[in-house]
Amino acid sequence: MISRRSNSKVSEKLVIYRVRVEGSDSFQCAKDDKTLLKHIEDHGIEVHYHCREGYCGACRTKLIQGEVEYITDPLAFIDDDEILPCCCKPTSDIHIKLY
Amino acid sequence: MKYTTFNQESNDTMTEPMFFGNPVNVARYDQQKHPIFEKLIEKQISFFWRPEEVDVSKDRMDFQKLSDAERHIFISNLKYQTLLDSIQGRSPNIAFLPIISIPELETWVETWSFFETIHSRSYTHILRNLFSNPSEIFDDIVVNEEIKKRASDISKYYDDLIFATQLWQTQGEGEHVVDGVTHSINMRQLKKLLYLCMNSVNALEAIRFYVSFACTFAFAERELMEGNSKIIRLIARDENIHLTSTQHVLNLWAKGKDDPEMAEIAAECHEEAKAIFMKAVEQEKEWAKYLFNSGSMLGLNEEILCQYVEYIANHRMAAIGMGQPFDIKSNPLPWMNNYLSSDNVQVAPQETEISSYLVGQIDSEVASDDFEAFEL
Repeated sequence: MISRRSNSKVSEKLVIYRVRVEGSDSFQCAKDDKTLLKHIEDHGIEVHYHCREGYCGACRTKLIQGEVEYITDPLAFIDDDEILPCCCKPTSDIHIKLY
Repeated sequence: MKYTTFNQESNDTMTEPMFFGNPVNVARYDQQKHPIFEKLIEKQISFFWRPEEVDVSKDRMDFQKLSDAERHIFISNLKYQTLLDSIQGRSPNIAFLPIISIPELETWVETWSFFETIHSRSYTHILRNLFSNPSEIFDDIVVNEEIKKRASDISKYYDDLIFATQLWQTQGEGEHVVDGVTHSINMRQLKKLLYLCMNSVNALEAIRFYVSFACTFAFAERELMEGNSKIIRLIARDENIHLTSTQHVLNLWAKGKDDPEMAEIAAECHEEAKAIFMKAVEQEKEWAKYLFNSGSMLGLNEEILCQYVEYIANHRMAAIGMGQPFDIKSNPLPWMNNYLSSDNVQVAPQETEISSYLVGQIDSEVASDDFEAFEL
């Protein structure tokens, strides 16, 4: 039988990271399912994207400080100090610069 | 060096450069020098589609309703894309395969070219539906001055590389006289031709399609020619991955992660390569001018299209270390992104006609904790 579990368990482990986007306001984002790209968009910051799956590289972004983890393996070319927001999530407070 | 289809000397592909090393013998993927190409092959194959899956029959009625200026835009773009994919369906195979030295890159180039042939077949699928006799359209491609101008610029770099490779593989390095013209063939020169050719291909995949993509999606925004738009989205998705591959090749060279001589050439020919890209940008803008010479279409004009080309070019050029030469910072056609996102390009029987079916309605992303709230 399928039953719904209460959501309280989820909110207990809520983790919040601070995202600082060069040239825009900083915002806070909860550690959840959403990609970094989605968080940036949700805060009304214009960001370039195409595929949203890590293979086109349109959302290539400079990571100035902090760390991210990838949900899908990025196929597009990125430099050592760059990330693909469409397929990663922050794992610490981060400071980024959109191109 | 004479080309052989199966090099009987055993060689270690892990130490070979991407190009101009020993010919590949065993097509093996258990060990890879540059595993990215194998990943691109897998991704590209997962995108497999057939033009016939997309129902374009409603487009015929839409086409009748278009103004003359809009028809000119629509048909000209199809002609231009037919040209681009005619070149891309054969040239990477002919130019690159004879000089590639690692199996994963060889197979990537074959996969890439194969998908370009799907694109070519899809243009026939679209045109057959619109015209009872599409041969007039195809015949014009080799006559139309605007298209010919672009064709010679794209094919030139391929042709130069192919010709020099043929001379090198049949006669070796040195001075060779062909039809009274002396050609000097040496490895440095061959690698330089390869570098320029790869830059020209990169520019092609990066921006040459985007003016016509923008027009197609502008029609789709008005719920016109949606079958065509569906096909073009599938094509755009493939072109994105092709672009990723050429960016990888160029960056592997430039960062000295492959052939060290190619790193020198990349530095030496930086300006020349940049000029190839800038010329492609100029030609795309001229193409926008040609498209709108007999009238505009709703939602698009020459100026905004040119801005879009500059915007895209900034991103594409930055990706290969060429900086951002244009001032534009903000995307002039933000709705384009919706059409280029791969979440919106699935082909399901119930939505083959109307591409807007999926937009904003279905989120195909499923994360593992989406099921967290359920218990058995």
